[in-house]
Amino acid sequence: MTDRQTNLLQGTLDLLILKSLALGELHGLGVARRVEQITRGTFQVKPGSLFPALYRMEEAGWLASSWGASENNRRAKFYKLTAAGRRQLDAETTEWKRIAVAIGFALQAT
Amino acid sequence: MSPLSRFTSRWRSALRNLFARSRVQRELDADVRTYADLLTDEKVRAGMDPRDARRAALVELGGIERVKDEVREIQSGAVLETTARDVRYAVRTLVRRPGFTVVAVIALALGIGATTAIFSVVNGVLLRPLPYREPDQLVVILHEGRNPVAPANYLDWKQQSSLFSSFGAAEYWSGTMTGDVPERVQGLKVTSDVLAMTGINPLIGRSFRPEDDAPTGDRPVVLSWGFWQRRFAGSRDVLGKSLLVDGSSYTIVGVMPRGFDFPMFWATGVQVWTPLTLGERASSRRSQSLRLFARLRPGASVAAAQSQMSAITGNLEKAFPGTNPAVVVAPLDTMVVGDVRTALLVLLGAVAFVLLIACANVAHMQLARASARHREMSVRLALGASRTRLLRQLLTESVVLSLVGGALGIVLAKAGLRTLVALAGSSLPRAETIGLDPAVLAFTTVVSLMTGLAFGLLPAVRVSRSEMAEALRDGARGSTEGAGRSRVRSILVASEIALALVLLAGAGLAMRSFAALRAIDPGFDPHGVLSAVVSVYGTAEAPPGRREAFYTSALERVRQLPGVESASLVNHLPIAGDVWGLQFIIEGRPRPEPAQVPRATFRVVYPGYFRAMRLPILRGRDVTEMDRVGAPRVVIVNDFFARRHWPNEDAIGKRVSFNPAADTGTWFTVVGVVKNDVRSDWTAPPEEEVFLPYAQEREYLEGNGGHVGYMTLVIRASCSAVKACNAASLAPALRDAVGSVNRSVPVTDIQTMDDVIAGANAGPRFTLVLLATFAVVALVLAAVGIYGVISYAVSRRTHEIGVRVALGASPATVVRLVIAQGMRVVAVGVVIGVAGSLVASRLMTKLVYGVSVTDPLTYAGVAALLAAVALVASYIPARRATRIDPLVAMRTD
Repeated sequence: MTDRQTNLLQGTLDLLILKSLALGELHGLGVARRVEQITRGTFQVKPGSLFPALYRMEEAGWLASSWGASENNRRAKFYKLTAAGRRQLDAETTEWKRIAVAIGFALQAT
Repeated sequence: MSPLSRFTSRWRSALRNLFARSRVQRELDADVRTYADLLTDEKVRAGMDPRDARRAALVELGGIERVKDEVREIQSGAVLETTARDVRYAVRTLVRRPGFTVVAVIALALGIGATTAIFSVVNGVLLRPLPYREPDQLVVILHEGRNPVAPANYLDWKQQSSLFSSFGAAEYWSGTMTGDVPERVQGLKVTSDVLAMTGINPLIGRSFRPEDDAPTGDRPVVLSWGFWQRRFAGSRDVLGKSLLVDGSSYTIVGVMPRGFDFPMFWATGVQVWTPLTLGERASSRRSQSLRLFARLRPGASVAAAQSQMSAITGNLEKAFPGTNPAVVVAPLDTMVVGDVRTALLVLLGAVAFVLLIACANVAHMQLARASARHREMSVRLALGASRTRLLRQLLTESVVLSLVGGALGIVLAKAGLRTLVALAGSSLPRAETIGLDPAVLAFTTVVSLMTGLAFGLLPAVRVSRSEMAEALRDGARGSTEGAGRSRVRSILVASEIALALVLLAGAGLAMRSFAALRAIDPGFDPHGVLSAVVSVYGTAEAPPGRREAFYTSALERVRQLPGVESASLVNHLPIAGDVWGLQFIIEGRPRPEPAQVPRATFRVVYPGYFRAMRLPILRGRDVTEMDRVGAPRVVIVNDFFARRHWPNEDAIGKRVSFNPAADTGTWFTVVGVVKNDVRSDWTAPPEEEVFLPYAQEREYLEGNGGHVGYMTLVIRASCSAVKACNAASLAPALRDAVGSVNRSVPVTDIQTMDDVIAGANAGPRFTLVLLATFAVVALVLAAVGIYGVISYAVSRRTHEIGVRVALGASPATVVRLVIAQGMRVVAVGVVIGVAGSLVASRLMTKLVYGVSVTDPLTYAGVAALLAAVALVASYIPARRATRIDPLVAMRTD
């Protein structure tokens, strides 16, 4: 995700992270890779954006974290959605869809 | 998620971030490092060499520290956290450069300290409401805003006005309290409404009730806290005890609380209050001795009260012509503050200028340092610090500096305040309320913070904006600095010069004004004169037959004291004493209308008064022992009187009467003319004044009132070439001499005439000393500023000057070159400063005497002084420039 995209898609990163965690807990790199995967490589989240977002969302109470072992047995911090995080994901999804539809209309207008 | 739970979640995080800081930071560190490790693993799995993989992972990460920094920025409590880090860093930076830090802190401490001191005076005197209930409603009613009112006028006004909820009168009262130690007490006679009007209840007992206005039996008296403590050791059972004043018995009914003083602008330091009973005086329209106080009804304005009172007075004048000078209703606080307001506001402005100069000084010191720190900043920018972070950190440094300066400033202010209040003396009302209270400390804190931002913002913005590449290049080459930055510094110095000039002009005007005040000829020679009030009233020496004998023998003993050249008695001392007037008419002249009868200040004197005061007798003779009751009545007039009423004749032998109403008045023959002297107001022009011999004044010899029960001793100390006049040292001997005649007669108010005059000029001296102090501080700061800027310019131009010297420039050329640069800035500053002073000095119109606020001499003088100081300040670095060795200079590249 480039700097320009960050500016453009301020709220989008949150939504993508929430979405990537919807299926289960992941560590930092896991989140980055998952976002890449679910956006088919369109968004590459850099650590400089990822970590502030994770910590901010954790402070907001959307994410919870715990330390555990990674697939290749490294001690890593795993993030998962809290109940509040799920509600937030739903809310942001609805909002996003509404905007997407609206933008779609706007672009079709002649 | 509800806003509330989100808020609490944030709060928990903030607390955790702040208080479990190291754990949170360790976790963050581990988290980011694991990311790097996992990334490396990924790349190794993809077939990369482990070491290459590691390097690639770190590059992709963009630096572990940087990522951590970005997280820290968003963590709750980050502001506090970062600020704490910035403060620690700032302190370290400042400690590393003690020279800069000490100079900056001193400059700021001077500026902030002076501002704090003056603000605490302004706060105590002008801002704090008077300590009464709803003080805004209290007004003072006087003739022409300052003259007392006759009882009949008071009663008419009180009855006919409708806008006051209470309306009372007060009259000055002083008497001798007899007892083991005789003592003069300062008192006030008040109608029962006056103390009640203040809304301040007595500490113990009661104040006055309406029935006290016409007392039966012993008169009640209310004591001040100070008097109660001193005479009765604060004992609660004083109530009901009696007090003997002037031979009459008073019953103590109450004690007012500590610090109570009313009305503050007049009769301050009252020790006892007693009811004012007008009795047969109630119908008098001539004896004007009352000061009136009233409380406006809620909603009534001063202006409405004024127009109503003027209307009533207009009607009274029709009924009783010639007894109703204009009435003025003035708010009490205006009367209390009086002329001091202007002086204080001017001083506050002056001190703000000092602070601005200090700011400008520190700002360009910061700028100079900023250039030196250019590389540090460039490196930090290159390493990825954001500009906002740098800006914030530089501002933190400035604020730390200004807060340290502010703390030191408070210490300075605390020390300075005592001197300040002592210097102001009686010219400052409500001096006891002046102090470093929470309001002042809050003010100082805000001023310090603003100061820090003011001098820190410009350098900080410049530094944080510095272009990396340019900085590295510029810094490395040590070339002549960029034109932009040098212009900013020149502007700063020019503003310093301009501000300093305004202050110097103010101080210059105050100085000239004070010199003009000092140059006023009081008519007499105050130096070497000691005065003391001797009061027979209420003592065994009071009966009509005894008074004169007592004064005469006391005077005899005093005259025989060693060190006394001459001595005499007068009823009221010039300047310090009361000023009483008498209406008079001149023999053989048409009788004037009642409203046009002239008045003269009158004094009652013993023989030798003019000699003791060294008030020259221009023609005729002094009062002598022969001028007694039974002998023809005589009077001595002042020069003004003689010239005004007998312009082309000799006044000696002419006759005047002090009873304009009666056709068969007693005529007084003028036997002498003396030089004009000052009466009560030091700067007032001369008016008619007459001197009457004590031994012919029945009122004084036999009269039954406190006002004729005392005289003032004036003693001229003998001075020789070897021994300076030391009038004050005669005080104990004087007390003994009077005491040896009768120990129960109190001798009070012992003061030298020099002190009396100094007291009369305490206000102007206060303004002068402070303005001069501020101007000197400003001058020093401005000089340091110029010096700093020129030195810095020289150091930056080392290379250029080296080339010039190598090409054959003589030392004189180099000096001229450097000084010219400095003086251009100074010239701009002086021009702006003179323009500014011409505007600012208008505020001083009320404060100066005998000099125009646009006095060209003053302006030329201070401009020259400032230019000279600036010249010296830029000459020192210019000299240094001539010693630049071209070889060394060129090698510094």
